[in-house]
Amino acid sequence: MSIPLSLYVHIPWCLHKCAYCDFNSHKLTGPLPEAQLLAALERDLIADLPLVEERELCSIFIGGGTPSLLAPEAIERLLKLLGRHCRLARDIEITLEANPGTLEKGRLADFAHAGIRRLSLGVQSFFTQTLKRLDRIHTGPQAEAAVEEALSADFESVNLDLMHGLPGQTFEGATADLERSVGFSPNHISWYQLTIEPNTLFYRYPPELPSDSTLAAIEQAGAKILASAGFVRYEISAYAQANHHSRHNLHYWEFGDYLGIGPGAHSKFTLANAKILRRQKLRQPESYLKAKNYLAKEAEISEQLLSFEYLMNALRLVEGTEDALYEERTGMPIGQLANWRCRNLKRGLLEPGSQLRASELGLRFLDDLLVDFSLKPQ
Amino acid sequence: MTPLDKIRNFSIIAHIDHGKSTLADRFIQICNALSEREMLDQVLDSMDIERERGITIKAQSVALSYRSENGEIYHLNLIDTPGHVDFSYEVSRSLAACEGALLVVDAAQGIEAQTVANCLAAMEQGLEVIPVINKVDLQQADPKAVKLDIEEVIGLDAASAIEVSAKTGFGVQRVLEQLIDRVQPPTGSNSSALRALIIDSWFDRYLGVVSLVRVMDGMLKVGDPVIPVSTGETHRVDLLGICTPERKPKEYLGTGEVGFVVAGVKNINGAPVGDTLIHAQHPNTLALAGFEKIKPQVYAGLFPTDSDSFKSFREALGKLALNDPALVFEPETSTALGFGFRCGFLGLLHMEIVQQRLEREYALELITTSPTVVYQVLKRNGELVKESNPALLPPPEQIQEMREPMALVTILTPKEYVGGIMTFCLDRRGEQRSMDYLGSQVSMVFVLPMAEVISELFSRLKGISHGYASMDYHFLCFQQAPLVRLNILINGEKVDALALVVHKDQAQSRGRALVERMQEVIPRQMFDVAIQAAIGNHVIARTTVKALRKNVTAKCYGGDITRKKKLLAKQAAGKKRMKQLGRVSIPQDAFLAVLRIDD
Repeated sequence: MSIPLSLYVHIPWCLHKCAYCDFNSHKLTGPLPEAQLLAALERDLIADLPLVEERELCSIFIGGGTPSLLAPEAIERLLKLLGRHCRLARDIEITLEANPGTLEKGRLADFAHAGIRRLSLGVQSFFTQTLKRLDRIHTGPQAEAAVEEALSADFESVNLDLMHGLPGQTFEGATADLERSVGFSPNHISWYQLTIEPNTLFYRYPPELPSDSTLAAIEQAGAKILASAGFVRYEISAYAQANHHSRHNLHYWEFGDYLGIGPGAHSKFTLANAKILRRQKLRQPESYLKAKNYLAKEAEISEQLLSFEYLMNALRLVEGTEDALYEERTGMPIGQLANWRCRNLKRGLLEPGSQLRASELGLRFLDDLLVDFSLKPQ
Repeated sequence: MTPLDKIRNFSIIAHIDHGKSTLADRFIQICNALSEREMLDQVLDSMDIERERGITIKAQSVALSYRSENGEIYHLNLIDTPGHVDFSYEVSRSLAACEGALLVVDAAQGIEAQTVANCLAAMEQGLEVIPVINKVDLQQADPKAVKLDIEEVIGLDAASAIEVSAKTGFGVQRVLEQLIDRVQPPTGSNSSALRALIIDSWFDRYLGVVSLVRVMDGMLKVGDPVIPVSTGETHRVDLLGICTPERKPKEYLGTGEVGFVVAGVKNINGAPVGDTLIHAQHPNTLALAGFEKIKPQVYAGLFPTDSDSFKSFREALGKLALNDPALVFEPETSTALGFGFRCGFLGLLHMEIVQQRLEREYALELITTSPTVVYQVLKRNGELVKESNPALLPPPEQIQEMREPMALVTILTPKEYVGGIMTFCLDRRGEQRSMDYLGSQVSMVFVLPMAEVISELFSRLKGISHGYASMDYHFLCFQQAPLVRLNILINGEKVDALALVVHKDQAQSRGRALVERMQEVIPRQMFDVAIQAAIGNHVIARTTVKALRKNVTAKCYGGDITRKKKLLAKQAAGKKRMKQLGRVSIPQDAFLAVLRIDD
């Protein structure tokens, strides 16, 4: 089996549920049940293993929620148990998401010692007022301290998560955030615009967001700041220094296989018979911890959806995708896309050339490109 | 066999909301035609749309079996009539099958123009009209004033008017007794050759064509070979019966009776409304006087959003047209909307109902272009043509003269709204013909362009008068007018389906209002969209829908793509309902924008 495999581990708790967040995260009300969670994660993983046989893991991502709420010792035990059950690639990328809060202070270096190789820090902004409006619980100074701590610790790579288009944010505020971020010289920056998702507090009580023209100006100025600091945009919202691309995320965008363990975690993997399955685990942490069977949903991806899902991911990449990879990952001939490619080349949404790749316009109007595909795939 | 003197056929003439359906329900209850369990509110309105809108569209009938106070059992046939201004034609069909009519007037509302017109038609046809004053239980009820209205406005003796409350049941029995006393039994003879009037026909998926008939002479029996006079084709009666209101099969229908017939008619044009059924053994029997072929007043293009459904659209229209002789249609091709039909309707409500029925009953998705009237065009070469499609008008240099249809509009209103209505009608290029004070009401007669009448006169009249004024109208004549074609251009391309004909003096304001309205309904796209209104090559108004900056989700969480997929599926569904004009996606609303520019 040539399709690489990754592992996602979901830690479902946060100290506070933020108003914009629609992830499967839950406010932590007592002490974090570390031992129980680790035991459940191990059982969850063991149950999945037969499906992926002996395949090697190329990356591990521990996300949430707030995984940095786990003590470094717990993370170490988690990584050990993963190593006991799975074959890990020698150069495996192991990422942990962390928040710049009180709890994490002084602990970040210990995560590196525990075996975490890449740290993704949820900074979002360096302005306390902006963070407050975004309903985050950390402050600007806390964010700065955390970044410094992360960069001085022994990680191979550090990513800063940064948001823009935030409630009450000005052009100056947004660009200042970016300037300060690149000033720290992290290895990677995820710079994404706030999206109001259904099932969030912001959806029900919409905050006032910057105007369209401000957003446009922010994006234009931001792209310059990042580029001149040596960050190369390789995906719609992802910017990296040389050799510091997020391998785990690239893996998603290139339609690799992944197992997901933990409450609500999603998996996607190719079976020996070339069929591709999607699965989801039980979402509620309480039921997950007590469960004997962790599976909530399982479905095969139909052929019709397969190309669509592939394009949904792969076209987010600035470089797009090679025909061969499309055929390998979907098991379908690239020729089926000919009409759609031709049509959208004319619309200026695809880039001419042999590589299947969105144009600058196409990256901005990716939804239109995909909607066009779902209406007329042939 | 029911003796003729035990049969009474009647209709109810009433305005919407004046309680006709409730009264019918009471009749059905009293006559036990329906058990309690089956007694859905307002059983006569059987179509979903009728129930929702609380109005009756298609003629329906119900056979009632009533034991009178004199101990005799009478067979009463109630033939329902529609109560909206658009459907006066259907009323005349129902009346032709009756000897009597109940004039039902709301005790708190008074009489309405439409009711007056229908009542006069019934009297002209020699029907016995019995006035019934409904809702006397209401606090605002003023039966005395209503009686005065009936006498002054219609000229009908209201001394014997029956006061009832269909809601509580008060007085309802007395109505039935009066029906028996005052309405003449049917004439004709069971031994004569068969003549049955087709009151209504509709297409049933399982039975084929079903017709509602009134036997005027002779008998109609299962197994009989019958001929609709207009087609000359022989059909065998497979099934007949009465509606109580559910269908009850019978072996025969005698003279004077009303019921349904199924005779293996497969083609929807095989049993036209107004036709006469005769027995094949007496092929020379004279046909009954039919109905005057109705002329549509409003035309609009109907196009399937999905071009693959054109064929099923054509079939659906054919089926609807069977029991709706007012609906006419012919193929139309639009560069913007593809293949569709130009359809003629009685009025806007009729149009809306047809569109909804097509969408609901036949699962079609349709775009309707803005409704217009039929114009007469006198060309320079002396030719006189009629055109209902603005896009197909001859080029201006060929036009000598444009003529528009005018309507004679009768408005009935309480005194206090006369001023407001006057101003409104004069603003709409109306010309006053007369004004009469009748009891508590004023009758105003105007000549108005039909285009103004169909667009919104009815609803605006209701607005001005807080619901108290009512109107009736009919076509009067064609009249010369300075009319021009207003074109709408989207990104420089003329959109045929958006063209409309306007009065020269209104062109500027209409054009401005229209492009502004279009700007609101056309979503922002990847590029600027310019919307222009132009007469010939002269642009008179312009707006722009500014380009969207982007349409992409900032962060896509690789693991869970279900939400993103749902979002895209929703976008796709929305886009599917749009029409592509070049690169521009236009929602269906845009094609009706012209209708709402006065809101």
